[in-house]
Amino acid sequence: MDNFLYLAASGATQNMNALGVHANNLANAKSDAFKADMHQARSMQAYGEGLPTRVFAMEERPASNFDSGALKTTGRAMDVAIKGQGWLVVQDGNGGEGLTRAGALRFDETGMLLNNQGRPVLGEAGPIFAPLPIEKVEIAVDGMVTVRPQGAPADGFEEVGQLRLSNPEVANLTKGEDGLFRDLDNDNYPTDITVQLQSGTLEGSNVNPVEEMVGMLAAQRQFDMQIKLMKTAEENDQAGSRMMDV
Amino acid sequence: MHSALWISKTGLDAQQTDIANISNNLANASTVGFKKSRAVFEDLLYQTVNQAGGISSQETKMPAGLTLGAGTKVTATQRVFTQGTVQSTDNSLDMMVDGAGFFQIQLPDGNIGYTRNGQFALDEEGQLVTPGSGYLLDPGIAVPDNAQSITVSTDGEVSVRLNGETENQVVGQIEIANFINPTGLEPIGQNLYLQTGASGDAVIGTPGLDGMGSILQGALESSNVNVTEELVNMIESQRVYEMNSKVISTVDEMLSNLNQQL
Repeated sequence: MDNFLYLAASGATQNMNALGVHANNLANAKSDAFKADMHQARSMQAYGEGLPTRVFAMEERPASNFDSGALKTTGRAMDVAIKGQGWLVVQDGNGGEGLTRAGALRFDETGMLLNNQGRPVLGEAGPIFAPLPIEKVEIAVDGMVTVRPQGAPADGFEEVGQLRLSNPEVANLTKGEDGLFRDLDNDNYPTDITVQLQSGTLEGSNVNPVEEMVGMLAAQRQFDMQIKLMKTAEENDQAGSRMMDV
Repeated sequence: MHSALWISKTGLDAQQTDIANISNNLANASTVGFKKSRAVFEDLLYQTVNQAGGISSQETKMPAGLTLGAGTKVTATQRVFTQGTVQSTDNSLDMMVDGAGFFQIQLPDGNIGYTRNGQFALDEEGQLVTPGSGYLLDPGIAVPDNAQSITVSTDGEVSVRLNGETENQVVGQIEIANFINPTGLEPIGQNLYLQTGASGDAVIGTPGLDGMGSILQGALESSNVNVTEELVNMIESQRVYEMNSKVISTVDEMLSNLNQQL
């Protein structure tokens, strides 16, 4: 049987993977601050004995789409969206740092500031704690979190910490398996004072449904073509067998 | 079977939960003291199909890998405790908390329930009770049966004018409770919430003092459901649902094509 059957099979598998990327993007069309994943196929030379005539396809996720999602007004003081570029630095499950733009924040029962995934949001000196109980919270444009403890006078706002707003080069950022973004070469996210927040708003997902649907259809048609190739391979094979029948 | 089927299934599930949540908000759009909740979506874990930096030949490495997401999930329904609008009723037993805080209600099982609904009524002994189930306000306040009028001050002092008297007589003091994290309260229906580990313990205080909201007599707090927002959300969820079901039918067509052709 000709090798090109395997080429077609590899192409079909990769089209299926591409569909998985589109499916995940569409599934997350309502996840706050979700960044759509891109995908591309690349030719992969099959090395080995004989002539290098076989080039397989390989699906890759070279990057995510870093465009901002649409802003949604929520009116909740602890919902923050980042204007333009920039990231919130949060603690990941291993105690390391990761970047996210999902800004529906809350305090837990110990007064630690968390994002909606329950990850501690970091300031200059680690997690931010507020004295409990809190009556009112305000988050300033520069990420300064001020709270008014219960019973304090109207002007009794206290600063409890400043959110670390970082703006590393997005070209170096990759999405990890936990959905957080990281710069794999440089695990250090310093404050960038030009990053600004807007409280009372949340950033929506940046998935472009039309693009995803079109990508999905393209993957589907290409998949059908791979099957056609497999069918052709089968027919060629049968033709060869028939010749032997004589 | 193919992972895209399961990925879009998570999308369908999440949108369905969202629609259920939206319809509950809309159903309670005129429930006094109701606080809307919103579904919080999150992407699930990613799985690495091809590792970035893997070896592609003896000298070269792959510049990018392929990690496939596993879909989405509604991780929480977050209750939004913004103030509802004031609805003036002129009924002396209607009151609302203007600001943070909850009325405390004595539940039949001995626990304390918390509510923003201040539509009180009197039971046959003249005690202030919730309108639906007749649960007692805590601390209890009894109004004598010869009371002509009832006055509640902004700091929660309840006084009555008795028949034939000229001076008001204080019959009780309403206390309100506040929470560190009201989002963590557990709703149990009937406009009542219970405290949980996440909400923290109730901080009880006098209305209008120590950051507690003050009491407004003759007014009720409307639901904070924004009908327009809910409808926009509903349309969004419906469309996302449709797109996810489209993925399922696409994968189905691909697989059926595969089965028929080969």
